[in-house]
Amino acid sequence: MTPGGLLSLPAGLRLERFRLSFAAGLVLLAVAYFLGAKLGFVLTPQRLPISMLWPPNALLLAALLLTEPRRWWMLVAAVLPAHFAAELHSGVPLAMVFGWFVSNCSEALLGAVAIRLLRPRPPRFDSFADACVILLCGALFAPILSSFLDAALVKAIGWNDTTFWQLVRIRATANTLAALIVVPLVMTLVQNAREALATAPRRLLVEAALLFAGLATVAFILFSNLEPDARSSPALFYAPLPFMLWAAARLGPLGMSFANLLLTAVAIWGAMNGLGPFAGGSPEDNARAVQLFLIAASVPLLLLAVLLEERRRAERDAREQRQQLAHLARVATLGGLSGALAHELNQPLTAILSNAQAAQYMLGSDTIDMRELEEILKDIVAADRRASEVIRRLRALFMNEVIQAQDLDANELVREVLGLARGDLAARDIEVVTNLMQPLPAMRADRVQFQQVLLNLVLNASEAMAAAPAGARRLTVSTRAAGEGGVQISFYDQGPGFKPNDAERLFEPFYTTKPKGLGLGLPISRSIIAAHGGKLWGESRAGAGAAFHVLLPPSGPLAWLPH
Amino acid sequence: MLPFLIAVVEDEEPVRKALSRLLRAAGLHTVTFEGGEAFLESLAITHPDCLILDLHMPGMSGLELMHELKARNIAIPVIMITAHDEPFSRRRCLEVGAYSYMRKPLDEAALLDAIAEAMGHRPAFKRQPASAA
Repeated sequence: MTPGGLLSLPAGLRLERFRLSFAAGLVLLAVAYFLGAKLGFVLTPQRLPISMLWPPNALLLAALLLTEPRRWWMLVAAVLPAHFAAELHSGVPLAMVFGWFVSNCSEALLGAVAIRLLRPRPPRFDSFADACVILLCGALFAPILSSFLDAALVKAIGWNDTTFWQLVRIRATANTLAALIVVPLVMTLVQNAREALATAPRRLLVEAALLFAGLATVAFILFSNLEPDARSSPALFYAPLPFMLWAAARLGPLGMSFANLLLTAVAIWGAMNGLGPFAGGSPEDNARAVQLFLIAASVPLLLLAVLLEERRRAERDAREQRQQLAHLARVATLGGLSGALAHELNQPLTAILSNAQAAQYMLGSDTIDMRELEEILKDIVAADRRASEVIRRLRALFMNEVIQAQDLDANELVREVLGLARGDLAARDIEVVTNLMQPLPAMRADRVQFQQVLLNLVLNASEAMAAAPAGARRLTVSTRAAGEGGVQISFYDQGPGFKPNDAERLFEPFYTTKPKGLGLGLPISRSIIAAHGGKLWGESRAGAGAAFHVLLPPSGPLAWLPH
Repeated sequence: MLPFLIAVVEDEEPVRKALSRLLRAAGLHTVTFEGGEAFLESLAITHPDCLILDLHMPGMSGLELMHELKARNIAIPVIMITAHDEPFSRRRCLEVGAYSYMRKPLDEAALLDAIAEAMGHRPAFKRQPASAA
């Protein structure tokens, strides 16, 4: 477990395990620092004192950001031996090695301090403000400042004869690039990876694999191209852009960080092997060109990915809040329900008790009317069943059902529901007319729950018209786009309708005009629609029956993003 | 059967049927009505000795029926029954002249006692052999 792990540990963890995972994290950091330094050495083009990409500082910065400040000294201490192990080789004065340790740590600490000062809560890469601060302080401000220190130390110790300003420039670019690639990657891995992988649908993983394959291919073509006119056709540089945009939109900051890593790896590989658009000039110019290209390519898209992730999260939170609200509203009506509930349950209980006691009387008389006893028992069973039904429907009303949203076509759903109710409608000789608008914006809703609502409305209309004269039994169902991307479904019947004053009463639990009705269908339907952020209401059409309308809001501009 | 007529006014059929069965099994002639209006109409022909009246009914409620009976100066002892016990129902029912106020589900012993007392007689009905309270 990395140091970041301790931030996600629950408070009541045992001390031993707590210490162990942090210690393990320190070891992991030290090893990563060492390996990062080795990689940095590998990525040093010939005749240059500085590598193109220097991961260790960025690793330390990421670790600092994932740990509480009072433990920072432990991270620095853990990194010291790794640094010396990596840098201590023949020819390098001890003072230089130590000097680099100071400048490396100062870069990480400078960045971490600045970020923590500006963002009071532990920073995360799913907040746009946090991401901006992390990149500005950690990938711009800190590397530049510490590069001055580094160059000064190199000059003071006399390790290299490159000019001061050159050293600053080269160092700053290398460290900035490393910070841009490593910090988001490490932070998103530690903070988001477990949850992201657990909740990602398989389709998304396949999509990610395709994306990376495509990106790798395009990047490889771009950065291994030896054609002389490759340098002069800047359009080719944009070739990776569609894949990067795709990653930003669909894979969030975590996927974007990997995409950046992939692009960087291929670009640096090309430059190191003298291939690609950056292979024409001097080693220093090439290195700088690659670095600047990568920096320019990664920053905007990373920020875009973070922005989209933030919006997505906000929508998810809003949706959960809405469901909570609908649930609470249902629960709140429980108070007002208790009277109605007592009534609904006491009636069947009375029937059961009085029937049973009547039977007891009868059994005590000389002549027993068996048929009447049979009737009594039948009525007792029926009353019992009714009581169970009341409780069952009531439970359905209050259950906080999770909505599994799918893309639905309202027209298709209407046709399905009319098919389900066909028997009922045919038995009552009801003519069905549909007015389905094409095309209709897509809806995001739970298929089963939404079907339940539509079916309830169809059956209500059917029952309302059961006693209507033949020829005046028409159910009209219409769909249309409403507002900006919303969908409205309406049901018109030719039944007795209802009084305009009763429009809201219809939705009260247990209010029913049917002799055997429970009066829970409409309240349940309304709470389902409310949980989807929509509205369900009834309209009295004087003398011409009743109309019920379902309005679902638009799915939202980010509906096409994975949830 | 005993020479008394009990009227039951209750809108829900299962309860109506059950109550009428119980009363008949206890030896009382019973006549049932779905609502207050039907009962009032019947008063032209029949004159029950006791009325078992449901408080909450669509259309004319139990209280409204009692007001109507009072207005018509019809004195029939009324036992008000309800499935829906609200705080002030009991007081309101007794104020308007009900003899007794009982909550559903109704225990037959309590009901029959109440009927007997309402009609001013000592309990003289059949009792079931071994009644469990």
